Amino acid sequence: MIEISQLAKKFVVENPKKLSEQERLDPRLKGKFFHSVCDVSFRCSGGEVLGLLGPNGAGKTTTLRMLSTALKPDAGSITINGVDVLTQPVAARKKIGFLSGNTGLYGRLTGRENMAYFGQLHGMEKQDILRRIDALSELLGLHSYLDRRCESYSTGMKQKTAIARSVIHEPEVVILDEPTTGLDIMAAQTVMDFIRQMKVQGVGVIFSTHHLDEVAQLCDRVAVINEGRTAFNDTLAAFCARAPESLSRAFLSTLERGGQ
Amino acid sequence: MWLVFLKELKELVRDRKTLFFMIALPILVFPLIIGVVAYFSTKAVQEAETKVLNFAVVGEQYAPSLVNQMKDSDNFNQVSLPDEDDVTTSIRSGLTDFVLVIPDNYGDDVLATGQITLKLYLNDAGLNLVQHRLQAMVNNIAKHNQQLAFVQLGLDEDQQTALLEPIVIDKIDVADKRENWGEKIGGFVPYLIFMLCLQGAMIPATDLGAGEKERGTLETLLISPIARYKLVMGKFFTIALAGVTSALVTVSSMAIWGIVLSQGMAIQLVAEFMSAISGIDFALIFLMLIPVVAIFASLLLCLSIYARSFKEAQGYMTPLVMLVIVPVIMAMLPGVELKGGWAWVPLTNVALAIKELIKGTMDYGELIAIFGSTAIIATALISFCVYWFNKEKVLFR
Repeated sequence: MIEISQLAKKFVVENPKKLSEQERLDPRLKGKFFHSVCDVSFRCSGGEVLGLLGPNGAGKTTTLRMLSTALKPDAGSITINGVDVLTQPVAARKKIGFLSGNTGLYGRLTGRENMAYFGQLHGMEKQDILRRIDALSELLGLHSYLDRRCESYSTGMKQKTAIARSVIHEPEVVILDEPTTGLDIMAAQTVMDFIRQMKVQGVGVIFSTHHLDEVAQLCDRVAVINEGRTAFNDTLAAFCARAPESLSRAFLSTLERGGQ
Repeated sequence: MWLVFLKELKELVRDRKTLFFMIALPILVFPLIIGVVAYFSTKAVQEAETKVLNFAVVGEQYAPSLVNQMKDSDNFNQVSLPDEDDVTTSIRSGLTDFVLVIPDNYGDDVLATGQITLKLYLNDAGLNLVQHRLQAMVNNIAKHNQQLAFVQLGLDEDQQTALLEPIVIDKIDVADKRENWGEKIGGFVPYLIFMLCLQGAMIPATDLGAGEKERGTLETLLISPIARYKLVMGKFFTIALAGVTSALVTVSSMAIWGIVLSQGMAIQLVAEFMSAISGIDFALIFLMLIPVVAIFASLLLCLSIYARSFKEAQGYMTPLVMLVIVPVIMAMLPGVELKGGWAWVPLTNVALAIKELIKGTMDYGELIAIFGSTAIIATALISFCVYWFNKEKVLFR
């Protein structure tokens, strides 16, 4: 289980004069600091899928970056199956599979080489890497282009390969930052099938998205972040109950209510 | 660390642009520079020597013998001046290449006329050899007139020589040809080598830092369970290897093309220069470039990792080229030698040492200062690089 509590993260605003009028009015801007995340808490158990929602600039990506250990929180705690991310980041990284907003593949390496490289970075044995590459290629249908350089891949191919790369080390938690953004229907469906597969395997999945239909299809739990704070953190059923007519209404209603 | 290094290396050798700057450019640059300069300068001199010069004379009646000599030469062609008062216009318009103005006191009896001044009007911008060619013709007449005067004065040969040059300084140059050549080109060689090393390291450095940020691969790499310093060192060694390869190719290219040009094209000067420099000197030049490349690699990686994008990184790196020129130029300044404090100034000391090696006057004891100072700077810069790689505000600007 991944559990985060009262996370906070602020950044120094390099040039306050360059901020737009809207950005200057953001209550999170205090002096030379922008408090991107002020108070975010939620949890996701193994075999659960948590959808992380929020308007643009709400603090979703910063939160996911803290979960993935790329950023260090200023306050709060994150534990992954008992491992404290702040005090044991290297141990925590072995438990996390992370897919950022872009695919993060090395274009001059083949798909197979990309996967093998990250397997090696995770300290996997060569045989285990080969086994995982075969299994993931089968699962995601990568065989036909696995030995081609990634720079020649289509967006869908890249996304599938990136997914395979992010879970090569069999993580206990998978974090996906807007994994279907910019994908065609087929590629997006592959991502969704993959999330289902992870869930079946008992892996906890946290993914941020703007597509509420994906939330309806996949999620067990929903967390909504607005202006750096958790505005909602409960089951999908409880979220739907906020506005039974549609998830969009439920989402907007949550934003209107703030943290209530 | 080696895992990162090998992966970066694999990507590096698959990038044609990097390979071009790392290998092809250093191989081609020496024969290109030597060949192009030699070809065009030889051609320009030949043209200037053989060109038929159109000339006009003002005061022709005072020196008929000189003018007749010029007329008889195939390389001179006399033209008439439309206006004798405007010689400048005739040259600027291209009617004449030069105009010679002969004074009315011109004569063969030097003792009677005194020194005669001929005025030569020409456009002296660029290579033309007009004065050189005219001087050769005038010298014959001047010598003849000189001899007539000596006979008139009844001077013997020794007296004539003493009169022409009463005191002579006989210079005995103890420097051998290698030292002379080393002094002349020794300052330029490090400049060229440094620039090629920097160029060779620049492309991979941009790719490995800012390029990773731009493509979004850095974030994925940062969350892998590998210590940050190992990531930095893996990248650093890749960039340094690219720079060292560039240096090795540069020095080898310099040696090989030198031999090819000196043997194949029988250029005497190159042959003398190449035969004077030993294999050990070339090896030492290469060895000294290793810490230099380490400085370049760490500096470039720092800049690259700070930049948000490929373009921004290139913007930061361009001034670095200027920064590298400064210590090399300092090594060319008069009075700056490889001893005392200068032996401890990074980059300048290597530039001076390369010059000394080429001249064959290297004090090998100074190698301690050279390797020591450059290694200290390189280590400090690598440490700073590791520090920066741990800063969120650098990685996620």
